[in-house]
Amino acid sequence: MGRPCVVLTQGMQALRQDRLEPRLYKKCGVRTMKRDLMLSCAAMRRRCGLAPAVIAALSAIVSLAGYCAPASAETRGYVISWFATATNNPDWAVNCPEAAKDPKNRDFTEHMEPDGFGDKALVNGKPAPPLDYPDALTIDPDVEAVVGKYAYGFDLGGREADKFIDPETHQKVDDQLWRAVGCTQNFRMTPPAMPYLEGQAWTAGYADNAPAWTMQISGADLNKDGPVTVTLDRALSHLERDALGGFRSDVTYVIDPSLRSHNVLTGEIKNGVLWVKSGSLWMEGTLPWYLQVDLQDTHMRMRSEPGGDLQGYWGGYTDWHIWAYMYTSRCIVADCVGTYRSLEKLADYDPDPVTGKNRKISVTWRMEAMPAFLATVDGKIVAPALSAALGGKLQPSWLPTGPTVASDGDARTGTKGGATR
Amino acid sequence: MNGNYSGRLSIVIAGVLPLVGVAALPSAVAAPTSSAAATEIATSLRLSPLQYKHTIADIFGDSIKIEGDFEPVQPVQGMQAIGERTSNITDSGLEAYDEIARGVTAQVVDPRHRAELIHCKPLSEMGRDDACARSFFARVGPLLYRRPLTEDEVQDRVQAAGMIADRLHDFYSGIHLSLAEMLISPEFLFRYKRMEPDPAHPGQERMDPYDKATELSYFLWDTTPDPQLLDAARSGSLNTRAGLDKQVNRLIGSPRVADAVRAFFSDMLGFSGFEAVSKDANSFPRYTPAIIAEAQEQTLRTIVDLVVNRHGDYRDLFTTPHTFLTRDMAALYGVPLVDTTDNGQPQRWLPYTYPPGDPRAGILSEASFTELWSPSGRSSATGRGKALQEQLLCKQIPPPPPNVSFFVVNDTTNPNLKTARARLAEHRANPVCAGCHRLMDPLGLALENFDSAGEYRTEENGAPIDATGELGGHKFYGPQGLSKAVYDDPAATNCVAQRAFAFETGYMPPTKDARWQQIQQKFVASHYDVLELLRAIAESDLSYSPPEPNALTAANR
Repeated sequence: MGRPCVVLTQGMQALRQDRLEPRLYKKCGVRTMKRDLMLSCAAMRRRCGLAPAVIAALSAIVSLAGYCAPASAETRGYVISWFATATNNPDWAVNCPEAAKDPKNRDFTEHMEPDGFGDKALVNGKPAPPLDYPDALTIDPDVEAVVGKYAYGFDLGGREADKFIDPETHQKVDDQLWRAVGCTQNFRMTPPAMPYLEGQAWTAGYADNAPAWTMQISGADLNKDGPVTVTLDRALSHLERDALGGFRSDVTYVIDPSLRSHNVLTGEIKNGVLWVKSGSLWMEGTLPWYLQVDLQDTHMRMRSEPGGDLQGYWGGYTDWHIWAYMYTSRCIVADCVGTYRSLEKLADYDPDPVTGKNRKISVTWRMEAMPAFLATVDGKIVAPALSAALGGKLQPSWLPTGPTVASDGDARTGTKGGATR
Repeated sequence: MNGNYSGRLSIVIAGVLPLVGVAALPSAVAAPTSSAAATEIATSLRLSPLQYKHTIADIFGDSIKIEGDFEPVQPVQGMQAIGERTSNITDSGLEAYDEIARGVTAQVVDPRHRAELIHCKPLSEMGRDDACARSFFARVGPLLYRRPLTEDEVQDRVQAAGMIADRLHDFYSGIHLSLAEMLISPEFLFRYKRMEPDPAHPGQERMDPYDKATELSYFLWDTTPDPQLLDAARSGSLNTRAGLDKQVNRLIGSPRVADAVRAFFSDMLGFSGFEAVSKDANSFPRYTPAIIAEAQEQTLRTIVDLVVNRHGDYRDLFTTPHTFLTRDMAALYGVPLVDTTDNGQPQRWLPYTYPPGDPRAGILSEASFTELWSPSGRSSATGRGKALQEQLLCKQIPPPPPNVSFFVVNDTTNPNLKTARARLAEHRANPVCAGCHRLMDPLGLALENFDSAGEYRTEENGAPIDATGELGGHKFYGPQGLSKAVYDDPAATNCVAQRAFAFETGYMPPTKDARWQQIQQKFVASHYDVLELLRAIAESDLSYSPPEPNALTAANR
């Protein structure tokens, strides 16, 4: 099997977002493809009847580089080792003056209590549980919104009145999700602590069980400023822990051949910071953590830490219902109904043509990634790790030279062996 | 060995008796006996923990779990096997054996296993059934004692089982406790070299054939003799050249020889020392509990692959680029390893080949060596050099003199002595230390590219590492240079041969004996094929002769 084609990649992404040109759908048979089908560029040409030039043109149209693009001079592999809603809590009283006066106010599950909003949700004129029917709540829970000036994020072109100032870039940024949830106890956290519910799900369920997310960064010389390509995928295996309970760098992850979480984004390194500002992103997750992470108008900025890790922020517009589902599906120590309504109220993008209500909200996630070797299922190393543990540079002899997978023998040497347990 | 063993054992058993309300039981703890007219016990070796486990698995099945910790045995002359011969069982060690034994026998009689392991059904489960008990002990007894049981021994077990069954109104409790007593008997826990008059050569002695079968089996399979081997002992064929060769060929031809190879090299490489190894997690976060086991497993798989599967040259172990890794181990080494195992499944061992010139090639560069011989917080060129000299080249290094300060060596924060080479140079300025360190440090310094956890590095405290080394006046650089130097040193092949003999017998060989020299010649002629070395040892009369007295006393010094 050859490399998956960028057109198909984009097709799958667009399919998820109902943005693919219907004729291309039909012509390529995308509708009938199974979820984890991967076509080579050659197969794509055969199936779609498209000339290579057309495919290249389509690639350009969707403005993303992909596997069909020429290989970059340098690629580094990473695995996402920390991911959660970005918080910014330098001064609780400044961000949330009402909550600071009464920290218990509007927290936890009071809206489910009989003296809360238990009887304030009506469905067909009859009382209904507000947790099940948050849209049916007849009153505004009025969760306090963040009024502080600072939050991490990106300028997505939102309303001037809604802007925060990013503490790092000092730019005006949009992050209405933070405004909606930042005054609840769950988000009164500062990295490396994650917001409570996300952290609990990450630590207790996700990181040690669900397949990790991988990231390849490619460019002519990643030590210099210049254009780069960022490729995100899901791995076949979960993160690996170290002796301190953190995660181990330099582990090899095999990229899931499914295209569901395959994203190719373009960006550039500027003054040592990697910036991305392009397209949309969709990553598959696993409950009880995020079921999926989606972004429209994706922005990223990441910088390399001394140990070789990456740390930064991803932002854009996300479907607030999906975020709310992650948050409210485990409604413990959280004002889930209030948060839901707050998200609905502060959503700032993509109005529904019928109701006029915004379906998306500006969001910023904080992330960390650590060096990892990335490979395809056929054993090819597509991205080497580059961690401080390797002296910050690859041993020449350890550079990828070909497949090392050895299910039927040692492909690297041709010796027989076979995997053993 | 067991001068006091019987007495202490009686105390353990006496402690059990009130629990079952029996005043006195026939004891399984008689002095060692033999089917033949044994005249002398030349040596006795305690079963190693691994041999114990293999033995129980072979007799009662893999599903019987060994629960509890065996008393640790200190290696003597670098070998656990010699320690098994020379060490005493302490009171706590005996209690540990007793606890493990009762854990085993409780499983043997539990409802899950009894139908399979006890081939008769008692007339009533509520009391004794001597016939059924006799049938059980007559079958299992010879497997446990590795020889036929005397009628008295069988009767004692039957009687003990019956008394307990009567008292507890439970046939299976009788079997359970009577069998447990067999498992703490010296006849089970020790293997003997008993000498008897040789009828074919009046005036000479020969080894008891059952003991010979036992020695062969533990040497070549690391477990108790199988029925074929016991039959060969019973028929006397094991005392003939042809009979012995036939059994040796059979044992070496079996895949089970890999168990013995693993056990032997675990011993030779000092892997029992891993029980005491720890690393500072803050400095070496990749050194997880899984790595401790996987580092040993990597080396053992590398060895079995070369020695057993490929019939390779022993010396190639020091330079081979072929090894096996898990994803965890690959991450420790900073190399990629593609494992497509489903998420959540145990990591697989996959073959891996280092490219030419890679410093990781050979077992000296593997974590099992570099981790094991380094303290918690830093690498130790001295420790690694000492281990190499003693374990792999059979050179004796005297212990450090008393009252020597190691402060300079241990202080890795000294801004003027950033590398181990610099610190050791300072330490060797003390002439009292210099003599011995000259034998160790030049070897270990060649491995300084590997830190205490076995990770590769090029600097220490910001200073570049100089991995120059020296062995026998020959200078070299880095792990590859060291591996090549050891490859070329005849002491390496001499040493593995001596260690293999010690693994079998519990004492080092008489190197001036012509029979020993024949063994070595066969090893050389086989191009250092370790299986041929094992064959030569197993077929040599030297293995079945009483040891020279100084061979036994040397180990005790």
